[in-house]
Amino acid sequence: MFTFQESEIKNLLNALAKEYKVFVPAKVGDESKFVPYDDNVELYWDRNVLLSVKDKFFPHTEPMYKFKTKRKTVEIEPLASKDEPVLLFGVRSCDLQALNCLDQVFLTKGFVDEFYRTKRDQATIVALGCNEAEDTCFCTAMGVDPQKGNGADIQAYRTQGKFGMEALTEKGQKIIDILKSYLKEENLQVPETQGFQLQPDMDGVAEKLKGMFDAELWAEVAPTCLNCGACTYICPTCHCFDISQDVRGEEGFKYRCWDSCMFEEYTLMAGGHNPRPSKKERVRNRFMHKLCYFPERYNMLLCTGCGRCLNVCPVNLHITSIIGKVKEAN
Amino acid sequence: MATMEQLTLQLRETAREILESKKAAAVIGWEKGTFWYTTTPVVLTKPEDTERLVWNEYCLNNLAKYLLDFQHSNEKVAIFARGCDSRGINRLIQDKQIDRDKVLIIGLACPGMKDDKKARELGQNADIPLAKKCQECAYPDALVYDLWIGEPKEVAKPVPEAKVFPEVEAIEQMTPDDKYASFAANYEKCLRCYACRNVCPACNCKECIFGNSSKEWSAKANNLSENMFFALTRALHVAGRCIQCGECERICPVNIPIMLLNKKIIQDIDRLFGPYEAGLDPEDKMPLGSFEFTDPEEFM
Repeated sequence: MFTFQESEIKNLLNALAKEYKVFVPAKVGDESKFVPYDDNVELYWDRNVLLSVKDKFFPHTEPMYKFKTKRKTVEIEPLASKDEPVLLFGVRSCDLQALNCLDQVFLTKGFVDEFYRTKRDQATIVALGCNEAEDTCFCTAMGVDPQKGNGADIQAYRTQGKFGMEALTEKGQKIIDILKSYLKEENLQVPETQGFQLQPDMDGVAEKLKGMFDAELWAEVAPTCLNCGACTYICPTCHCFDISQDVRGEEGFKYRCWDSCMFEEYTLMAGGHNPRPSKKERVRNRFMHKLCYFPERYNMLLCTGCGRCLNVCPVNLHITSIIGKVKEAN
Repeated sequence: MATMEQLTLQLRETAREILESKKAAAVIGWEKGTFWYTTTPVVLTKPEDTERLVWNEYCLNNLAKYLLDFQHSNEKVAIFARGCDSRGINRLIQDKQIDRDKVLIIGLACPGMKDDKKARELGQNADIPLAKKCQECAYPDALVYDLWIGEPKEVAKPVPEAKVFPEVEAIEQMTPDDKYASFAANYEKCLRCYACRNVCPACNCKECIFGNSSKEWSAKANNLSENMFFALTRALHVAGRCIQCGECERICPVNIPIMLLNKKIIQDIDRLFGPYEAGLDPEDKMPLGSFEFTDPEEFM
């Protein structure tokens, strides 16, 4: 394994910043998120960041193309993503798994989303193992290994005042080559992740849910939900979007932006009918999508156990307790 | 004085009796959450489920908003209420969202709730401070109730005091550019999840303009301009009606100090129209919902 002292990190990031647009986990006010690296950022390693890297691949609001009408014709100008290599340093296993979920949606089954693909192709990802679980973490229950980021270009560890790195892909090897002069080759003991408190039992849940569309459970749990979008917007795997436009006079642009299945308007049809008219249908859909429909279509869960929704839900309606209730249901 | 554990038993017993005797079709209260520092609001309809109710120092959620789910029901609903919940209930009654006689209010005296975020950070053995909204609370005990749990209590009709908010005054001292920069920094990070709106008892419109993009009053795009438009519209719409429960600010996933705008408006109303507290009594005249010939009208 290649290692370097943690105190050296800024030198390494500076070297990488010459070749890539580098994003690092940082504390910004009371929040934490991935920000473009510069010397002044307050690097944040202790916990996973509040806002995941989802928006680096699937921005909250993303312009798609400009248009201009001239008499009877329309001129369309595509708005392409910038062509620059991006490096994300320190992505946790749960958030990498979330990208694997998004890959399924945006890149497979014959549908390729070019906006997403471009950004995905441009990115090199350095995964960072987790030494300590937060009380809201339950990635292991969702089949995620907190010390191994599935799909990363490099796996990094942070322990004993050092960072250790292993290249997993060619893109990853390129990073090692750039950093060669800073790195030492030695064995570094990878610590086991400590402190998991939540262990929701997923065994048989997806299968059981197939028969639970009409279960009483939904009417029992749904009244608590406020139908805000906090869980969906903080979730690294939620990927619903809406397409809108901004028109000024004869020109404008189309953009897409995040949408949430918790909102009444999400399923509102042009004629005024709403197939998910109340909390019950919306709450059911969110959990069914994560734990049943998505596994059915893509053979993987749409929850990676990052625990962010447990942290932000205003009423503490937690996916872990829903899983428990599904297990208990007759 | 009865401990919260003892009161919890009384809460359960009262709720069970209400459901068994069909005095109400549902009871709104709190149940144990996933963590030691969390509880979850719960709507119970079966007498045997009342065992799930809890009353502890992490019952942070204001329950009033849940009454809107019973707006079109013919049956009565019971709700546990402290000062903040009762002001929220008064808000809904005064806004003609729910009839007083359709609500059975079980009054509680509130010792102040603890800060769940601090609790998570500091751990179970630490001395956990009160939640910010509770530190600032002027009316901890239910102002309106049909039943009372705990020590018998006569709640005198409170007299509103003149409002001074140091954090508002600090902003008022700033230059216009600094004010804008601070406002921008706060709302740049807004996720537009609308948790603030959905938790707010004063946000009780049947249809919200931010949930109806086809009308094109506002765009779904997340940018500073749209986010500010949302924040200002909401603040002005709850002007004179905000009961200062602080729930919007407490539950914001990205820690926006949402109450700043609300407090600024409360302070301005106070200075222009005299002391007023929303939600103390549904019969009170609302400063922005009524007029007097002595009202200032400098613009005319």
